[in-house]
Amino acid sequence: MSDRRIGVYICYCGGNISDYVDCDRVRDAIEHDEGVVVAKTTMFACSDAAQQEIIDDIKEQKLDAMVVASCSPTLHLFTFRGVAERAKLNPYLYVQVNLREQCSWAHTDVPALATDKAVYMVKAGIAKARLTVPLDKTRIDTVPRSLVIGAGISGLRAALGLSDLGISVFVAEKTEKIGGWVADMGRMYPHDRRGNELIADLVEEVQKRDNIQIYTQAELAEKSGSVGDFNVKLNVKCELIPLNVGSIIVTTGFHSYQPADGEFAYGAEGVLTLPEFKQLLDQCEDELSYQGKAVSKVSYIYCVGSRDASGAEGANAYCSRYCCNAAMHASSVAHDLSPKLHQFHLYRDTRSYGKYELLYQKARRQGALFIKFNADAPPQVEKSNGGFRILVKDVLTYGEELDIDSDLIVLVTAMEPRPNQALNDIIKVPLGLDGFFKEIHPKLRPVETVIDGVFIAGAAQAPRNSAESVASALAATAKSAALLKKGYVELEPLIAEVDPDACSWCDQCVASCPYSAISKKNFGEKEIAEINAAVCKGCGCCVPDCPQGALGVKGYTDGQIKAMIDAMEVANG
Amino acid sequence: MDYDVLVVGGGTAGMESALTLGDMGYSVVLAEREPTIGGKMILLSKVFPTLDCASCIATPKMASTFHHPQVNTMVYTEVNNIAKTARGSFQVQLKRKATYVNSDQCTGCQKCELACTVAVPDQFNFDLVARRAVYIPFAQAVPKKAVMERHGISPCSQACPAGVKAHGYVSLIRSGLFDEAQELILEAIPFPATLGRVCYAPCERACTRGELEGVLPIRKLKRFAADHYYQKHPQAKPAAVENKHSERVAVIGAGPAGLTAAYHLARRGYPVTVFEAEEKPGGMLRLIPPFRLPPEVLERDIANVTALGVEIRAGERVADPVELKKQGFQAVFLACGTAKDKKPEMEGADLKGVTGAIQFLRRAAASAKPSLAGKTVLVAGGGRYGIALDCARTARRLGAQRVVLQFGRSRPELASVEWAISDAIEEGITIEFHKAPAKLIGKDGKLVQVESQDVQAGKRDPSGRTLPGLPAETKSAMAADLAIMALGQEADPKNEREGLRLTKSGTLSVNAQTLETRLPGVFAGGDLVSGPGSVVEAIGTGTRAAECIDRFLRGEPQTPKERGLNLPGVDKQIAIGRQEQYTLAPAAERTKRPVEERRDGFAEVELGFDEKTARQNASRCIDCGGCCECHQCVSACPADAIDFGMRDEDQTLEVGSVVVSTGFDLFDPVGKVQYGYGRLPNVITAMQMDRLLSPTRPYNSVLRPSDGKIPDNIAYILCTGSRDCQIGNELCSRVCCMYSIKQAQLIMGALPIADVTIYYIDIRAFGKGFEEFYQQSGDMGVEFIKGKVGRVEPTDDGNMILHYEDIAGGGKLAQAEHDLVVLSVGMLPNQDALSLFSGGELAADAHHYVKEIDEDHSPARTSIEGVYVAGSSAAAMDIPDTILHSGAAAAQAAAYVERVKK
Repeated sequence: MSDRRIGVYICYCGGNISDYVDCDRVRDAIEHDEGVVVAKTTMFACSDAAQQEIIDDIKEQKLDAMVVASCSPTLHLFTFRGVAERAKLNPYLYVQVNLREQCSWAHTDVPALATDKAVYMVKAGIAKARLTVPLDKTRIDTVPRSLVIGAGISGLRAALGLSDLGISVFVAEKTEKIGGWVADMGRMYPHDRRGNELIADLVEEVQKRDNIQIYTQAELAEKSGSVGDFNVKLNVKCELIPLNVGSIIVTTGFHSYQPADGEFAYGAEGVLTLPEFKQLLDQCEDELSYQGKAVSKVSYIYCVGSRDASGAEGANAYCSRYCCNAAMHASSVAHDLSPKLHQFHLYRDTRSYGKYELLYQKARRQGALFIKFNADAPPQVEKSNGGFRILVKDVLTYGEELDIDSDLIVLVTAMEPRPNQALNDIIKVPLGLDGFFKEIHPKLRPVETVIDGVFIAGAAQAPRNSAESVASALAATAKSAALLKKGYVELEPLIAEVDPDACSWCDQCVASCPYSAISKKNFGEKEIAEINAAVCKGCGCCVPDCPQGALGVKGYTDGQIKAMIDAMEVANG
Repeated sequence: MDYDVLVVGGGTAGMESALTLGDMGYSVVLAEREPTIGGKMILLSKVFPTLDCASCIATPKMASTFHHPQVNTMVYTEVNNIAKTARGSFQVQLKRKATYVNSDQCTGCQKCELACTVAVPDQFNFDLVARRAVYIPFAQAVPKKAVMERHGISPCSQACPAGVKAHGYVSLIRSGLFDEAQELILEAIPFPATLGRVCYAPCERACTRGELEGVLPIRKLKRFAADHYYQKHPQAKPAAVENKHSERVAVIGAGPAGLTAAYHLARRGYPVTVFEAEEKPGGMLRLIPPFRLPPEVLERDIANVTALGVEIRAGERVADPVELKKQGFQAVFLACGTAKDKKPEMEGADLKGVTGAIQFLRRAAASAKPSLAGKTVLVAGGGRYGIALDCARTARRLGAQRVVLQFGRSRPELASVEWAISDAIEEGITIEFHKAPAKLIGKDGKLVQVESQDVQAGKRDPSGRTLPGLPAETKSAMAADLAIMALGQEADPKNEREGLRLTKSGTLSVNAQTLETRLPGVFAGGDLVSGPGSVVEAIGTGTRAAECIDRFLRGEPQTPKERGLNLPGVDKQIAIGRQEQYTLAPAAERTKRPVEERRDGFAEVELGFDEKTARQNASRCIDCGGCCECHQCVSACPADAIDFGMRDEDQTLEVGSVVVSTGFDLFDPVGKVQYGYGRLPNVITAMQMDRLLSPTRPYNSVLRPSDGKIPDNIAYILCTGSRDCQIGNELCSRVCCMYSIKQAQLIMGALPIADVTIYYIDIRAFGKGFEEFYQQSGDMGVEFIKGKVGRVEPTDDGNMILHYEDIAGGGKLAQAEHDLVVLSVGMLPNQDALSLFSGGELAADAHHYVKEIDEDHSPARTSIEGVYVAGSSAAAMDIPDTILHSGAAAAQAAAYVERVKK
């Protein structure tokens, strides 16, 4: 007989679970299980009132383990661990059963069987809870210094933001130039300020700070340690500089899509990408001219390298977000240079979102013509007597075939993820399907990554404009400061553990660990494996590779897993 | 400084800012004006492009904000003003709005909600369903504590001189809680059935519905509650009142004032004895003729008093109140009224056949009724409380052949309600206005003729009543057998004692605040003090007297206190303005016994309501005050948490920096007339659709509002209220394309056979993962039509025809029929944020969003150094951008706090 006192809470999830699983039947099936002292159903276990009820139960019923059968632990594991903590129960005595994603949503067609399955799952959770033991977090003191990788506008602003909060910053810039893309962009939307001036202002401010150091021609060469206490080495002009930092912010920016030769006549004189055109605009002083010749007609072809749903190798399915606005703004800049300029915008959808609608309005008021083409009928570009001839079917005039002469063609090119294999190998932040760095959660946690202490900001995470990149850099600054200003971090104790008696140091586990968390240590007479608690993520890769069965993961012990399987078998007869 | 940072607004941006700052170690106060944090995100079904359940990802954020050790979350709190100090910090004035529910005691059990009888549109369900006046916003609310919506005292309740909670019992009747209605009335008065018949109903005059199609029959609703209750309980239940006090109280006069005082004193636990000179208790109520107030009804009301153990000694005239004190009564309440007719100063007033109104009515009330068969009767005088009309109608019933009522003023001044006059006229009473007897002519000492003269309307006194005017030239005469002079009443001089001298007008003067006479421990009230007045006012002074006597006996100071727990009254126009919509439904016709049945008998004329009519009429109430004070929540709350005495509290704080995250408003599509919102029930907003799709959805399915049909052909009209100079918003709202696509995908899941068509200008799927999400919806079968909808017209069966230009289909004008139309409404700035600051303006941009003065370098920075804006207060933005923007605000607010602290 177990002497545990377990509380079990079965959540309706407002119908997400209870529409398909008879939660009351589940409760009835488990309420007399060994060790179960409290068994309840609840509308939203995560609601404040339900949390309070659980806390009261823990205190009044002197519970020493709890099970919440609700949704995925990715959503609420920490919520309920927090509940346990507030009730002074060790949070690792809590077990979550994922009834929603793994049962109700998966079996919407067979409610009766879903309820049976839910019973097994909850019984398994209770079996695990009986074998839980209190665990303590690993505490690591943090270093009040950060490394920012990339000295574009995001990196510079993040550095200043951290400096403001008393955190020392090292900035590593791969090239010899500070300022990234923005420095070369000339006049930029939304406030029509010049990119090089924006950068110059930041650089001037950086130079005033004695807690910011910028390294150019510097690349990350090595990274070890863990959140709050990373040891990195920068390769600065072939010299390795060791640094000890508490967090890393990756602001490596984007790569501008390079059209293939012949794509909309790219490669021919007079066909420019959007960044090339912006540089041209920046160089022109009194009128828009190209290679010494005044330009009278410009055509813009949108979505070059973006929104390609073909699924072809290397095709970018995503929208690059900044380019409609940038092209419309460039159109106004060109108009200012040459007010008589004819401008044709060949677009698919104008994505001048939010206040950028004003850029679209302005361009149109200045005489720019907008022509909508369908994705399946892209414009055809031909060279003709010194310029170009564009044939396009205009949706807005009900499919009329337009024949447009142009001196200059601007390909409104995509933002692409910057190819950075060497960095990725070291920093180990996963990439999304689109190739940009992947955040923990695109809605609510856009600057955090699965690597604790490593943040992403600016166009390295997703296409965005300069002002938006700065906002994201400051958000990363805040998250980084939240980590470092406290002075310490606490790490999950659900990590690998070594049975020193069984281990005979064959070193197979070293090869199976993706985080380089295992090393050798002396244990009495023999050598055994040792787990670096700060680095181990508890992934469990080492466990099956151990020929001696000497490895396990805390919180997921063999004994617990076996008990869970047994409980399901018993329940299933 | 009290806190490092104030965050204004607890939506996504506010929570993210507060959490980030709290994690950084700064102390944060988060002020949210709603009863819960969570903003609009928590109300969504799922979010694009991840299709995460909004509740599931917002609830943990709400909970961690609320439980964060560095964050003090103040809900139901308005920021009144923020002013920058010389040292760079900010002085903040907050208003903690009264919730009327003690949040420490409230457990969120929602029992009060189930008990509440007031339904108001549920703003958290965008008016698709109702919620209660006391409510918890939604299941996942943080904190999950009830609040009570009280705008003030409803005009009807405020108007009642006896403090009856009219709104409360109307609401209880509407809810079918008839016994509870009666019990609520009995809290204030012992005379529900009497007042339900004879009250002049100041509540009805105050009723806001009078500004619309007509007032509620509040008086008759009270009568209904009482009659319904008395039918079930013919005998008053002897109430077990604990005699908490040993001090005995004597009441002199068993009229409405005296009995009410006795009632309330007995309820407070005092032993009370009432002395009444007449044979039966009731005072002036006894003289109201049976056709208006049947005596058994009065008896039953009086039984409410005697059931409490009050002893009524009828037929016992008290010679000297001081004597009573000697007999051991510690306090005496004099309420012996003005039961004596004033003698007219008129020639012939002493003739036989000339009588006073009270004298006449007293005789008529006796068991042996006099006969007036074949007689001609003149009734002279009148006034608001109807005594002249009572005399006239009684004379008619006693057989008088002709009854003439002469009244010196105009028709509206004869009675407080017009029907009192028309009822009399129906019964054959002749009423002559602006006419009064001047001389009574007798023969053999007996009245034979009355000489009258016309009276001009005099000036108005400050109360609006005309003063008797000058006699005009015209004179007339009529033969009369009986003249009943209803020309005023006065207190019986027999009651005069040393220290209790009557004034010239025949009343007794007392300390207006304490009701004490010059004799210690002797109080007085009712008509004796005020002169002849209405029943309800007399009852009101009875209540006051009980309070004063109670304080006197307990040795408490007689400090004037506002009656009960009343708030200020509600402005009627505001109450009407708060109604989203109302149906005009006139009050039920007043039903009465046919005139032929009533001329010769004393049967009650006015008929009561049946249950259905009562509930129908009560249902017209528009709940001016919000909470109706029916007090059902008080009895329902197991935690004893309801507190009507709570009041708004002002609080001043000093903080280092301010984050403004007041969010956005949604465009109200009523302004886009051609789309029919508000006119066509099956045109809804996307926010309403999000509620229909959410896990806590109000109908547990997607149903169209007009008939509950499951829609199978749904249209979305994008850019409703965005990119539209016609309605004054030229900006794009950034989120509508995507939320519409999200909803389309969810509808495909919820209603597999439904078709969804999205009418668009441009699809703005610009963010991370958005384009892919858009493509996916196309693959799922969502139809996209390039073309802005011009107008929406209804069909007979609740469907709508959309007229649009089919741009991609050759440019022709086209029509399409749909059974549900969803307007993808845009975001507008919440301009409240702009008025928060004094002594330094918070600058707005051209579109009234909070201006970011250096968006390129420092997004979120505003025109006031130290004030940062987060999220959609600065511009329309989606959740990921809001999170980033809030991070930017938090980082800079923290940096500013560091500077201020130095």
